[in-house]
Amino acid sequence: MSEEKKWYNFDLGFTKQTAKTGTCGCGKSEGSCGSKQQPKTTIQKEEISEEAFFEAAVDASIGEERHKDGFDQVFEVKMDRRSAFRKLTASLLIGAGAVNTSCSITAGDASKEKAQIDWEEQFKGNYKLMTDDEKEATVNRLMRSYELRTGKNLSMTAENAKENVLFGYAFNISKCQGYMNCVSACVEENNQDRNSQMQYIRIHEMKDGNGFKFNDADDNYYHEVPAEGHFYMGTQCFHCDNPPCVDVCPVQATWREDDGLVVIDYDWCVGCRYCMAACPYDGRRFNWSKPEVPEKEVNKNQHYLGNRVRKKGVMEKCTFCVQRSRKGENPACVDACPTGARIFGNLLDPDSTIRWVLENKKVFRLKEDLGTEPKFWYFMD
Amino acid sequence: MNNSTKIYLLLFLVSLTIISCKKKDEYHSLDERIHAETRTGANGGVNSEILLSDKNLMEITEGHHTFLIPERKGELTSYSCTECHNKPLKQIASSDIKKAHWNIKINHAGSEVMNCATCHNGNDMNNLVSLTGKKIDFNKSYKQCAQCHTVQFEDWKGGAHGKKLAGWAPPRASMTCVNCHNPHEPSFDQRWPVRFNSEKVQERKDGFEFK
Repeated sequence: MSEEKKWYNFDLGFTKQTAKTGTCGCGKSEGSCGSKQQPKTTIQKEEISEEAFFEAAVDASIGEERHKDGFDQVFEVKMDRRSAFRKLTASLLIGAGAVNTSCSITAGDASKEKAQIDWEEQFKGNYKLMTDDEKEATVNRLMRSYELRTGKNLSMTAENAKENVLFGYAFNISKCQGYMNCVSACVEENNQDRNSQMQYIRIHEMKDGNGFKFNDADDNYYHEVPAEGHFYMGTQCFHCDNPPCVDVCPVQATWREDDGLVVIDYDWCVGCRYCMAACPYDGRRFNWSKPEVPEKEVNKNQHYLGNRVRKKGVMEKCTFCVQRSRKGENPACVDACPTGARIFGNLLDPDSTIRWVLENKKVFRLKEDLGTEPKFWYFMD
Repeated sequence: MNNSTKIYLLLFLVSLTIISCKKKDEYHSLDERIHAETRTGANGGVNSEILLSDKNLMEITEGHHTFLIPERKGELTSYSCTECHNKPLKQIASSDIKKAHWNIKINHAGSEVMNCATCHNGNDMNNLVSLTGKKIDFNKSYKQCAQCHTVQFEDWKGGAHGKKLAGWAPPRASMTCVNCHNPHEPSFDQRWPVRFNSEKVQERKDGFEFK
């Protein structure tokens, strides 16, 4: 039997259990799916147990979701294949509903307008391919839609990359004391999900004398800092000049802008998380649940590619605060840092402070050998 | 050399030129890209002037660096000092009245190295004094610090030490020493981090859970 297999089986003891209950891969508890019909040869038995193992694993992770009715599956669930189809249908229904409402004579003006906006948003193109007018139009729709939903106004822009600007970042390891003011400022600035406590920035507490050992580092400490015998360093999206996350995206929902920012079109992202797997720096985050920010805390100063409120099932990450940096401001983390460990600027301006740091301090980047060319350097005093 | 060899040679040379021609916007490294695309003074038309408009700044030139720093005298609560210190310190000293600067504690180097008179001149309270007895204007107090902290001074001038006042774009406006450090107790205290991620603890303990 073992000669037949080319892989190693990890036995968690599900084999015996399934032999008793007879569950199989199709999810039915009795008859007709085929995999249970001939349990005579040993090879067949092996197959059953693997399927059953898979079944048990799925059950363990999504459990009772599989037995929910259609509506619940569409609107609350974590996906399996069936609910994915249903979701697709639901998405079409939005379109159909929109047509229905906008043509109806009984619907109110506001709901008609909302339906019109939903329709146009549903079928808009990839941001990367939009003309400036189209960008303007979608931003206006999103602002109007927010107004219709909440009665509040927000300001969103679609400001393009400026010429002769390439953003770069330097981080002083000797200065960082681990206060995490940057993390807080980032969450507030970028409307990150409060429920899952999503954070773009990680501050790693590392032991002196051990070098960069991310395995031994603690990125969620809670004691007075700086702790004796430790140093601190932060990681976030490094905005690689040769970004592997962009290469793997199957729908081109993420790309590198001309000013070097690696951005995501949240409305084009399909949530496959290839980019998350491709990023060697753990720079990307996924919205497993619907991101929620209390209305009072929403930062209303938004950019289409930046901190506008995301939805469930899309990727997001640090954008060097595109909504701020393209206006000449520093990213929120830079302004919030109480120790001056964070330096941000234009790499193409020979008089900028970031250029002085690169040319006069001993700088290095993480995993430089990968050829990703991060635009995020570390240095020491 | 016959004709066909010449043609082949020509073709080979032409194709070599085409292949070796770099595609536009393609560099071997980020460093190469930065140096090829560097444009002095061009920042896409972005500047920090609006961000700095409400600040009272002054321009300084130190070495090769010219930049703005915040004006200091206007920020000092009891400047000018001669409002009270109208006579030299020795003459107004007395033991029976309440001390004016009772709340200032010096925790800066040791008492063998520094005392009040290292920076302040009892005969000229409106200015700081250098180690050799030269006058230093309060607005340029960084010169006082630079006497000992020469390495930090170099880094500060270049922009590796300290913070910008606002924005990355020119004009450059940097905070000066006293905007972050209290000159009487310049080091930072230990304190609690402002954030603790309880979800992360949960996830790492119990594994991820859908919501």
